[in-house]
This record gives sequence, C-alpha cells and structure tokens, in this order.
Amino acid sequence: MSLKNALIIDFTGSVSASDNHYLVFGEPVVKKLRSAAANKVVVVIDHGSQMSASEPHVVADHINLTGGNPLTGANDPCGERFPVVNDTYITEFQDAELDKLPRGVAGGLKEKVVPSKEEMAKLRELGVDFCCYHLVPTMIVAAHAGWKVAALVVPRGAKLDEKLISRLTGK
Amino acid sequence: MKTDWNIAAKSLDNALGVIKAVCHETPKVAIILGSGVNVLIDVDSPQVLPYEEVFGLAPTVSGHAGSLTVGRVGAAQTLVAIFRGRFHLYEGHDWSVVTLPTRVIVEWGITKLFVTNAAGGLNKQFQVGDLMVLTGFRDMQHPKLKETGLVPALMQPATGCKNALTEQILRTGADLHRENAEIGALRQGTYCACLGPSYNTLAEIEMLRRLQCDAVGMSTVPELLTAAGSKTQAAAISVITKVWGDGKPMGGHREVLEASHAASSRLDKSFRAVLREL
Repeated sequence: MSLKNALIIDFTGSVSASDNHYLVFGEPVVKKLRSAAANKVVVVIDHGSQMSASEPHVVADHINLTGGNPLTGANDPCGERFPVVNDTYITEFQDAELDKLPRGVAGGLKEKVVPSKEEMAKLRELGVDFCCYHLVPTMIVAAHAGWKVAALVVPRGAKLDEKLISRLTGK
Repeated sequence: MKTDWNIAAKSLDNALGVIKAVCHETPKVAIILGSGVNVLIDVDSPQVLPYEEVFGLAPTVSGHAGSLTVGRVGAAQTLVAIFRGRFHLYEGHDWSVVTLPTRVIVEWGITKLFVTNAAGGLNKQFQVGDLMVLTGFRDMQHPKLKETGLVPALMQPATGCKNALTEQILRTGADLHRENAEIGALRQGTYCACLGPSYNTLAEIEMLRRLQCDAVGMSTVPELLTAAGSKTQAAAISVITKVWGDGKPMGGHREVLEASHAASSRLDKSFRAVLREL
C-alpha cells in the first residue's frame, strides 16, 4: 500500500519531516486521528525495547498489555462501538529497504512498565517480539476511525533513516 | 460522561428499595443475560422494571434490553429474577456500577445466580452456537490493571470457578443431550474477560490460546468476583458467537447478536431443565 502523503505521528522526535511530534499518546493524538482526512493512512513511529536487532522493526500485529483501552467510554461516532482492529497494520510496502526490515508482534506496555527478565520470557512465550509504549493506543484509535497504520518501532538509541520516511511519504 | 453515569447510578439500598416496593418475595434464582441472549420470555405473573427505574441508568449497548423481570417458571412456579442486560467497564462505568446488579442480587438474598454472556470461541473444537459452562476465568479487565498493565495478570494462573451449581448445569446439560441429540453437548472451559470495546487482534487471540483460554468476552468476571465469598452461588455460561480460525474473517457486533439469538432457545431449554432440578 502506498504511503504517499500519509500522516506521520512520531513519538521519537527523530523525524523532522513529521509535523506531528508527540511525547506520549493522549488527546492531541486522538483529535488528530478523528479529524477529517482524504487519505486515511498514518505512519506511526515509536521507540521500542527488548528488540532482537538494532534496526527499526515493522509492526505486523500487536498485543495490548496496557490494561486500558482508549475507546472506553461513550462511543465516538467516527467508528463502530466494537471495532474490528485486524487488517489495520500495513506490512507490505513494495520498498526494498523497508521490506527487508525485521517485523514482528509489538507488546504495547503501560508507560513506565519495564518487564523483568522472567516477565519478558513469559511475554515472548505468549507471542510478543518486542515492546513499545505509545503505538498500541494510537493504533486502536486509528483503526476505530478507519485508518490503515504503518508502524515502525525504533530501538532506543538507534536512528531512523529520515530519507526512508521522506521517500515513502513524499514529505 | 463517565462522571455523569456514575453519579446517576443509584446506591445499592436505593436500587433494592425500588425492587422490594414491587416484589415482596425473594426470588430463588437470578439470571443476568448478556448480549443478545434472551431466555425465559414467557414467565408467569411477570413484574417488569426498567433499569433506569431500578439503577438510575440503562445499558448503552444494543442487545441489552435493560429491564428486570421477576416472574414464575415451570410447574413448581419457581420465582426467578431475570436481569436483561448489564453494565460494562468499556462503557465507562466504574466497578461499583458494573457490579451493582450482582450486589443487589446478593443483598436481596437470592442464593443462586446464573450469568450469561456472548463470547468468542478460542478453543478450535468449539462451534458457533455452542454453550460453554465456565470452569475457570482470567481477569484482564479489572480497573486495578489500569495501574499496573496486564503483565502481572499474565503471570498468574486462571481462577477456578467450578461449584455445585456448575456441576448441576453440566449434569442437566448431559441429560438433555442424551434425551435429544439435537441439543448439543455443553462445553466447559476457561473464559477470559478483556476490557474491550475493540475486538482482539489476531496476536491477542493467539496469546489467549497459549494461556489455554477457551473463550473470550468483555464481561461476567465482575459478577463472579462479586458473588464469590457471598451466600450467592454463581455459575456462568458463554454463548459462543464466533470461532476464530485460520483465514476466517472477523465478524462484528451484529454477528454476535445473531448467534446469541440463535442459541437462546437451547439456553432457554437448559435453564428450564436446571430450574426443575433446583
């Protein structure tokens, strides 16, 4: 799927092309995703941990481990009361550089939760490949509002090649 | 909105007062019905109270009628309280609101409670329309998990909830199946309560299977936890409204309601048979 002109939501602060830098998931992100958009494709960039390689990972699916859900409460009419959130992540980009990146299942942790070694072993046993903090609630809100999501999780300390994002989004 | 709802909700004493002003006898059995599940429609001498009158608020979700019916069932004229619909955490309600109907049941002195829900089947042996008696559960929706995240809950084993009432349902279900093979055998297994309202991702489904959960939904555990340790014995039954399989598309809430409705007649027969035995 083309990411041309996709919205970029960047939680890492490392993509200067993005006009949507956020420190954490919250109301401004929700508002952005519920605003009208002709092309409902969003690139979400988040920091990750417990990653097997030092390069960015493409998110193929997620497990919500936050203990919460951003859709709790009265339903926003932009989407269904019970949204099906599968088929939301974009995993094929037809871009050689992006398609060769490792991919896997992100475990979306509650902010400031750092799993112990024993807990991380359990999470891996249950299907988690790496962890992040802001992507999962963002994706749920995006899916509810009808967006497709291309998600990149970048190990802390590693740099995301900005040219890659620019080439893909045209920004 | 959340604050308004929780302010609007009546206290336990107020809710019970509204009920007792109309119903002067304590029912023998209470039933809480979940999404699209409809049983014991034609009870004798019914008294119907809307939830708004009893609890000060009504469920916001389609498939939850939001009324309390007290009436008599069967030759023994067993007095039954049927709570048609429930309040959910995903609606934004506090734990105290979600558990209010069960607390009313306990305080009213009803000693037997049946809880039903619509659930997604994780066990690949299950089929749409199956009824699963809960023999265990996992709680992944408790408000305390908002503070810690789910990781501590994943490190714990499932909680067993088998008791004399679940045994009775299983026995009665087996008898019904023997008498009429068209009434499928009851399933039994572990139910996982997730917060919702979004349905699970495929990775989450796989995780729950690895945790040996057999069905997943968004309710019931608050009711079971509330009844536990009280004089009210509780048993729960899931109506399996979809089963995730390789390549099968995910259905939405409409499919859930249709499957619940279709399974309701079997559940109705099971309840009437269990009530005869009580």
